[in-house]
Parts: sequence; C-alpha cells; structure tokens
Amino acid sequence: MYYQERPVNKGIDWLMIMLYLSLILIGWLSIFAATYDELQPSIFDIDRAYGRQFLWIIGALLLAGTVLLTDSKFYPAFAYVIYGLIMLLLLAVFVIGSTVKGDKNWIDIGSFQLQPSEFAKFAANLALAKYLSGMNINMKLMRTRITAIIIFMLPAVFILLQGDAGSAIVYVAFFLVLFRFGLPGSYLAIGLYVIMLSVFALVLDKYLLILILFVVSGILWFVSRRNRSIVLILATGFILSAGYVLTTDFVFNNLLEPHQQQRISVLLGKEVKVKDADYNVRQSKIAIGSGGLWGKGFLNGTLTKYNFVPEQSTDFIFCTIGEEYGFWGSTLVLLLFLTLLLRILHVAQRQRSRFSMIYAYGVAAIIFFHLLINVGMTIGLMPVIGIPLPFISYGGSSLWSFTILLFILVKLDGDRLAVLR
Amino acid sequence: MNTKKDIFWRIGLAYLFMIMLGAAIAWKVFYIQSVEGQRYRSMADSITTRYMPVLADRGNIYSYDGRLLATSLPNFEVRMDMKADGLTHEIFQQGIDSLSGCMAGLFRDKSTTDYKKQLTAARKRGDRYFLVKKNITYPQLLQLKAFPIFRYGQYKGGLIVLQSNKRTYPYKELANRTIGYMRDATVQPVGLEGAFNNQLTGIPGKRLMQKVSGGEFIPINDKNELDPQNGKDLITTIDINLQDVAENALLKTLVANEADHGCVVVMDVKTGAIRAIANLGRNEQGVYWENYNYAVGESHEPGSTFKLASIMALVEDGFVDIDDTVDVELGIHQYWNQTMRDAERHNLTRITVRSAFAHSSNVGISKLVEQHYNKDPEKYLSYLRELGLDKKLNIEIPGEQQPYIKDTKDKRFTRYSLPWMSVGYEIQISPLQMLTLYNSVANNGVMMKPYLVQQIQEYGLPVQHFDPVVLNKKICSDETLQAMKIILKEVVDSGTAKNLRNPNYSVAGKTGTAQIADKKHGYATRIYQSSFVGYFPAENPMYSCIVVVNAPSKGVYYGSAVAGPVFKEIADKVYATDLDIHPAEILYAENQQLIPQTKAGSRHELLYVCNQLGINLQAQSNQPWVTQQSGDSRQLVDKNVVEATGIVPDVKGMGLRDALYLLESCGLQVSVAGAGAVLSQSINPGAVIQKGTNISIVLSL
Repeated sequence: MYYQERPVNKGIDWLMIMLYLSLILIGWLSIFAATYDELQPSIFDIDRAYGRQFLWIIGALLLAGTVLLTDSKFYPAFAYVIYGLIMLLLLAVFVIGSTVKGDKNWIDIGSFQLQPSEFAKFAANLALAKYLSGMNINMKLMRTRITAIIIFMLPAVFILLQGDAGSAIVYVAFFLVLFRFGLPGSYLAIGLYVIMLSVFALVLDKYLLILILFVVSGILWFVSRRNRSIVLILATGFILSAGYVLTTDFVFNNLLEPHQQQRISVLLGKEVKVKDADYNVRQSKIAIGSGGLWGKGFLNGTLTKYNFVPEQSTDFIFCTIGEEYGFWGSTLVLLLFLTLLLRILHVAQRQRSRFSMIYAYGVAAIIFFHLLINVGMTIGLMPVIGIPLPFISYGGSSLWSFTILLFILVKLDGDRLAVLR
Repeated sequence: MNTKKDIFWRIGLAYLFMIMLGAAIAWKVFYIQSVEGQRYRSMADSITTRYMPVLADRGNIYSYDGRLLATSLPNFEVRMDMKADGLTHEIFQQGIDSLSGCMAGLFRDKSTTDYKKQLTAARKRGDRYFLVKKNITYPQLLQLKAFPIFRYGQYKGGLIVLQSNKRTYPYKELANRTIGYMRDATVQPVGLEGAFNNQLTGIPGKRLMQKVSGGEFIPINDKNELDPQNGKDLITTIDINLQDVAENALLKTLVANEADHGCVVVMDVKTGAIRAIANLGRNEQGVYWENYNYAVGESHEPGSTFKLASIMALVEDGFVDIDDTVDVELGIHQYWNQTMRDAERHNLTRITVRSAFAHSSNVGISKLVEQHYNKDPEKYLSYLRELGLDKKLNIEIPGEQQPYIKDTKDKRFTRYSLPWMSVGYEIQISPLQMLTLYNSVANNGVMMKPYLVQQIQEYGLPVQHFDPVVLNKKICSDETLQAMKIILKEVVDSGTAKNLRNPNYSVAGKTGTAQIADKKHGYATRIYQSSFVGYFPAENPMYSCIVVVNAPSKGVYYGSAVAGPVFKEIADKVYATDLDIHPAEILYAENQQLIPQTKAGSRHELLYVCNQLGINLQAQSNQPWVTQQSGDSRQLVDKNVVEATGIVPDVKGMGLRDALYLLESCGLQVSVAGAGAVLSQSINPGAVIQKGTNISIVLSL
C-alpha cells in the first residue's frame, strides 16, 4: 500500500514538538526551583517533586512515541471506545477513588496516583470530533447541538460531583469549538451576558442593577419600537435578567462552597470575613511582582524557595517563573504558549479531514482555557480555580494527558495528506 | 459563498477573543511586575524577612566569694502540630505507641497509656499547637528529638520547640527573699532582682531573619544587626556558707519553738556588708519558707535590745556612770496607773547600772531615763535621732519601713512614753536598723550603712564598685563607747545571755524579750518576740549579728533561750572556719619569711609578682634581666643579657617564654627539649651571633 512505506517521522510538525519540549523543560526547572531542597540538590532525586517530574517526563515521552507509532486511523475509529472507557474510569473513582486535598478524584495505582479527570479531556475531545465529523451533522438542529453538548459536559458533571469544580469548568472550552462549527453566536453572547450579569449582581446593589436593566431595556425598546417581536424579546429578557439578579445571592451563598465564594469575593475586591482568604493570590502577586523586569535569577526567588506560595509547584507554578525570571521570563513563556496555540490553529486550518480539524480546535480551546484561567488566577485576573498550567505544572496525570492530547494531533496532522477521512 | 464567510468571521472572532485575553494577561503581568513591582518587592522583603529581637541574657547574681546565687538557664516547651503536612496517618499510627512509651520513660509523670490517649485525642481534634510538655531541659530536649515521630522534625513530625530562659537559684531557698525575683509588670519586684533589674536585664538586640521552609527563621547577614547587650552581674556581699548556717540555725529554732516567723542578719563589722540575711515564715501547712523580708521590712517594738540606746544617752549626757547604782525594786515599779515589770523575776533591789543592764531590768533603766530626762524628754529623743534611729537606712532592696520614734509634739506622746520608750516600747524599728546601731558600737563608734551589693560586673570586669558608706563617724565619745562595750560583754559574761559564754571566743550583745501588741487584743494575748543582737569576738569584733524570733509558742520566750542559740551556731561556724579569728596562730612572721625559688627573667616582672605576694626582693641594678643570687636568696643579680648587640644572651635559668623571646629576637633558630627552666644552651653566652644559626636549649624542672 502507499502509506505503508511512509516513515513515522514524515509530515511531523516539528515546531509543535519543539514548543512542547521547551515547555516541559521550563516546567521541570520551575518545579525544581519551587520545591528546591538544599539537602537534596539533585534534580533527579526522586524523593523530591523535581525528581519525580523527571520520571513523569520520561513516561510522557514514551507515551508520545506510542501515540506517534499508532495508526492515525485508530483515533477516529476508537474515539467512542476510549471515551466510554474513560467515563467508566471516572465513575470508578466514586467507588475506589481516594481523596487528595478535598477532591475525591484520584485512583491509586501502586504508589502512584492517577487522576482520571485529566484524561477525560482528550477523550471528550476525541468523542466530540468523532460526533461532529459524522454524516448528517447539522448544527442548525437543536438535537445535534444538545448531543454535542452532552458529549463534553457529561465528564464535566462527573468531575463536578467528585468535588473538582476547577477541572469541570475547563470543559466549557468546547463551546468555543462548537461555535467554530456553527453554533449560533447568541449562545456565546448569552453566556457572556450571564457572566457579566453575575459579576454586576455581586458587586452592585440588586435593585440598582434592576433599575439599570429596566432603563436599558426601555431605551432599546424606544429605539426599535416598531418591531413587535423585539418588544417581546426585551420584555422576556428583562424579566429573566431581573429574576436572575435576585437569585444570584441565593446561588452564591447556597450552591457554592465557602472557599469558592471567598475566591470570587476576593477577585471582585469585596470584603472577605475570613482572614487570609486572599492569601494565595496575594502571595502569588507578591512573588510575581517582586520578580520585576529581569527576575531574581534561578533558585534565587525567596518566596519561591521557601514555600510562601501555596501549591507553587502545581497550580501556582507561574509565580516561580515570574519571580525568578521576571517580566522577560513570563513574557517568553506566554509567547511560547501563544506560538503553540497559533500553530495549532494553523494546523487545524490545513486539515483535510473534518475529524482532525475539529480535534485540533478542541486541543487549542483546552490549552487556551487552561492558560487563561491558570495564569489569570496567579495574577489576580481570575478567581482561584485549581487547574494546572499545561506542560509546566507538576503532576503526572496532567502532563501525560496533555501529551496525549497534543501528540494525537501531531499524529493526525502528520498523516493529513495520506488519507481523507 | 455564505458558509465560507460565516466560518471566516467565526475564526476571526475566536482569534480576536484569544488575542484580547492574551493581551490582558500580558498587560497584567507587565503591570504587576513593573508598575506595582516596587511595592511587591518591598512586600516580599517584609514577609520573608523580619527583625527579630535577640534576647539579652539576664545577669547572674553571685555571692561575695563568687558562687552563683541566681542565673538563667535555657528552658524548653514542646508542642506538636497534629496537622503538620508531612505527619501522615501511617507515621502517626506507627510511632504513637513507642513515642508514648519513650515520653513516659523520660518524664515519668504520666503512664504510656495516658500519653497515648492525650496525643491520639489531640490528633483527632486536629490540634495544631498541642502542648506536650513544659519546662524541659536541654538534655531532655535532645533525647526527645530522637523519639519516634518527633525525629522527623517539624514538617513531618509536627514537633514545635519554644525556648525561653528560666531563672534558677542554685541554692534554692537560701536568701531567697533578699535575692528576690522579677516577674512581670503585675508582680511587685522583690529583693536584688527587683532593685537591680535595670542592670541585670541588659538590652535586647535585633537581628534580620529570613523565613525558610517549615516556618523557621534563619539569620541573614545584615549591617544593621544589633547585638544584645547582656545584663550585668551582681556581686553581692552574701557569704553563702554563713547564709547556709544562718538559715539552718534559724529554721531549727523556729521549728523547735513553733514560732511564727524569724530573721537573722549577719554583718561585717568594719564595712557594714551583709554576709547573711535569712527570713523564714510559716505557711498554712506549717512549713517555713522565705516568704517576707522581715529583717528589712518589719518594723516592730524592739524591746530590751533598745536599752543600749537609752544607756548610751544617759552615759553620753553625763547623767550616769555604769558603776552607779539604781534600785530595781524587785522588778516591779508603778508609773501612775501602769506597772512596769522586769521580764525575769528576781529579788534584787539596789544594783549597779551595768548589772541592771546585764539583767535587762526594765525598772532600772526606765527609772534612770525617767529621772534624768523627765524635765526635758526632747534631749533624750534628740540623741536617739542623732543615732539615726528615726531614719531609713536606704538599703538597696525595696520594702524598708520608716522607723517610728515619737517626738514630744506627737499626740500619742504621754507621760508614760518616756519610761516605756527607754525599754524599747512605743517605738518601731526594723531588725536591720537595730543591728546597725550595735554594729557601730563594735566598729568603735563608726556607724556603717548596711549594704548587699559590692560590685556590678560586666563580662567579668567590674563596672561599678560600691564602697562602704559611713553614716555617722562617731556616735558617742570614746569613754561612752568603752562603757557600752563593757556592759554588752557583761550581758554574756554574767547577765541574761550567759548561755552564750564559751572558752573559744568572747561575745558581746543584748537579749530582748518583748511583748508584742496583737492587732486585736493588744498586749493581753502575751505574744512574745525573742531577740538577741551582738557581735563577736568581743575584743576585736568581726561580725555583728541580730536574731529575732517572733511568737515562739512553746512556753519559752526569753531572748537568750530562743534567739541566743542561733547566734551561737553562727559564731561557732565562723570560729571553726575563719582563720582570721585566730590571730595568735598566724606563724609566719616577717623575718621568718621563706623566699621561694624563682626562674630567671625580667626584673620588672619578678619584682612585681613578688611584691604582690608580699615577698621582698632586692635588685642590685636597673638591668632588665636578672636572676636570684642563689635558690632562696633575697638578692637579684644581673644576667649577661644585652639586647640587640649581636651577642648570644645568657638564658640559663629562664623560662621557655623569656628564653625564646631573647634568642629568636636576635635572629637565632631555637630548638627546644625538656620542660621547666633552661639548664643549658648549645652556644655559649657572649658568642657573636650569626643570623639563622641553630641553637638548642635543654630545659629541666
């Protein structure tokens, strides 16, 4: 056959791989700095996080190789099977899972722990790509939209039930993919409107906000008063918005956990009763801010070295970069990510197979969302949501899952000319 | 192509969205690092570093012979963080049994089960600051740090150790009240610790510390570091041996007589330095302890011991000679409506004044005073004031009472006042004030101020020295003083204190047996106070001493019987241990002085050392290097040493240091064998030096 003679490395997008390798190397060094222990100064010491991360990286590279050696037809063919297996694993967590830091989303495998919620990301992406690339898919049909949303929101619900709201939020990223493939813009607009309304409802006085809504609706009505249907939409919109505003307090106080309430309050600059509720963010900003333009230098970050920022090797790893390498280091890392994202979008556009293209957009969306939330929270732009910075944060599950996520794309892209799917 | 257009704007929007958010992040990072950077940098410094006070060591208190009376020792408190990050379930469960066992074994205060129960309960509660044990010593801490669980330290084992300095008193109760204590602002400071708190405390320093993992702080180099200034040391006048004897003798008497409280003060006659000061009172459980500084703080009616002042006034004013006679009327005399009685019954009538004093006749003394000062009581009172009996002594430690000597303008001054005051009633003075009066008789009329601190030292060097203070250069004429010495000796030789007589040394003093006015019942309850105050040896007094025992309740209350034995025990101890008290036994007369053999060496140094030792050597010239003429000769002769002339010096007989100095400074290489003084040198003295030549010297003891 024609493509049996194709060597594995043919068509591989080396730029993506170089970016990937740079990011995991930066991550490894940052973890070394964040958890550095003078008594165990070897970066390979597996008693420390940096030594273990080394093992995870080796594992990740092996996984990447495996993914590249697997036939690219395997992924669309087994997308639903992989999805199903991971969903079972997510359910299994409820039975055999162990709890780490309040979240029951880990499975013990020997002395290591696995976090199935991380792996659910690429599984959901595969399943979504498979579904949307199928025959007779029409995004104009409500049925299609709902099926697609169920595919990626199902793992999110499971994860939410495990108590890990942060990881669940990431799945919202797939709305961006849906949008790209024909979901009406109104969905995003309504989503943004609800988020803004929530923020205003928490910051402003409820009745003042309703008054403002009323005035705005009135003006809109006045402008377009000849159109009868607009009046109806405005009226419904106003009533729903007012109702929503009045219930935000209830939702905020009763459906959110106390620590989530605090994090949101901190972000919105509201007074928080609990002392040090903003501790993480404050310490994180101090670490990044004290780095200045040029940083304090490798292993010279005092806040980094002496554990002032909680969770620094995992969720707050960006502080280490900010403190030790300053603005140029932070910018470099952000530029690497930006290049990676743009490359992925570029790769997406050149796919001939719809499956590969959708998958590629999914990869970009997930990585983008992680980056946005993770870096956003360390600099106080987002509420504290405990999700890792892709490729950089400490942790085997997250590194492996992002590696698989990315390398499936690399493989699909490598074979883009070989076959039409 | 509608679809293409649609996809195009969707992608465009997605890119725009990403770029906007990306830009927001980049801007925020830039803002935090550049615009707000300065603020965050200073915040980073302030949370990672901190100026911590470095506590100054509190100064020690020493006895006058250099023994530690009070010092500060480090003391540790151990707590446990049950929710320490690394303290896992396994570590806790595996270690808890052996840890409990080890702690029970080390402290022996609770059983293994008790410890386990407490620790498990604290773990269950999630106590982050559980108190494991207070007041443990450094060796105990070292052991504890090796115990299971704790050996993992703070992060994995939850071990928290706090250090503080604990004041310790090596001699426990000895002079406890006088050494005193200084607690916090709410507790009245006591004794020397309180009075010299400023000097003892020192000034805390500050040090820049950086927080490192595990919440510990480590010092970092900093120019602004301020070393703590440790507290200064006090050298007291207390003689711990005498103090020990005084305290024990007093305790014995208090127990034997079931007395309420008592005190003893021993004073160095020449200087007024207090060598011992013991104060014991009984608590509710019947145990005696240093609960109040009675000697300084308790002014009371002294009783018969005060008669010394009365007699002194009578003799000094020329009214009475001690060989005059007075009718003591069988010990009972009626002053208007009041009866004056002698404490001891007797059948004496007309006796000499000295014998009236020796027998402590209230009738005799009060009659004389009443007779001579009746018309002018102020004359008597002014003499008492001249003796300084109405003034505070201003001793270093707080708590001294104002003595109370009535004057004639006082509303309470009645016709009874004069006779009763003359025998020690209707006045109030403290035991220390009374002792000061007796001490001045012993000290040939020079009244010394009592004091407790002779020096303040810093790092072993004196920074302030307290010289003895003379309060009154001459309290009376020499004749009066002689008479007082005679009658005080007579009290012991043939009077009320005969039980203190002994063949080894002589004692002079006065007994006192006073009835104390009870607050509720006045004098009716017949509570007594027995005292003895005096000095020894009577001829050449070294120490004066007062003993006061309050409310003996065994039926015996005479001063000689209750307070006397305490005095005697102290005097016996001094006699047994103090060589100075045996002048006749000092055999080394000046002309029999033995001259020690010295090494050859510097003339200046040899003369200085021997001079300090009281050995008189003579040098024949001003040559800098000398040796003794012969082994035990007083005469020093010159050595053949001329420095810096290029001639080998004669170092025979010198110590190694001098020999090396001389030989090497003229450029010779020296090899040495043996120890002691130089016996021989390989190049003869007087030879011309060739620089760098080897010379070997042999030393021998």
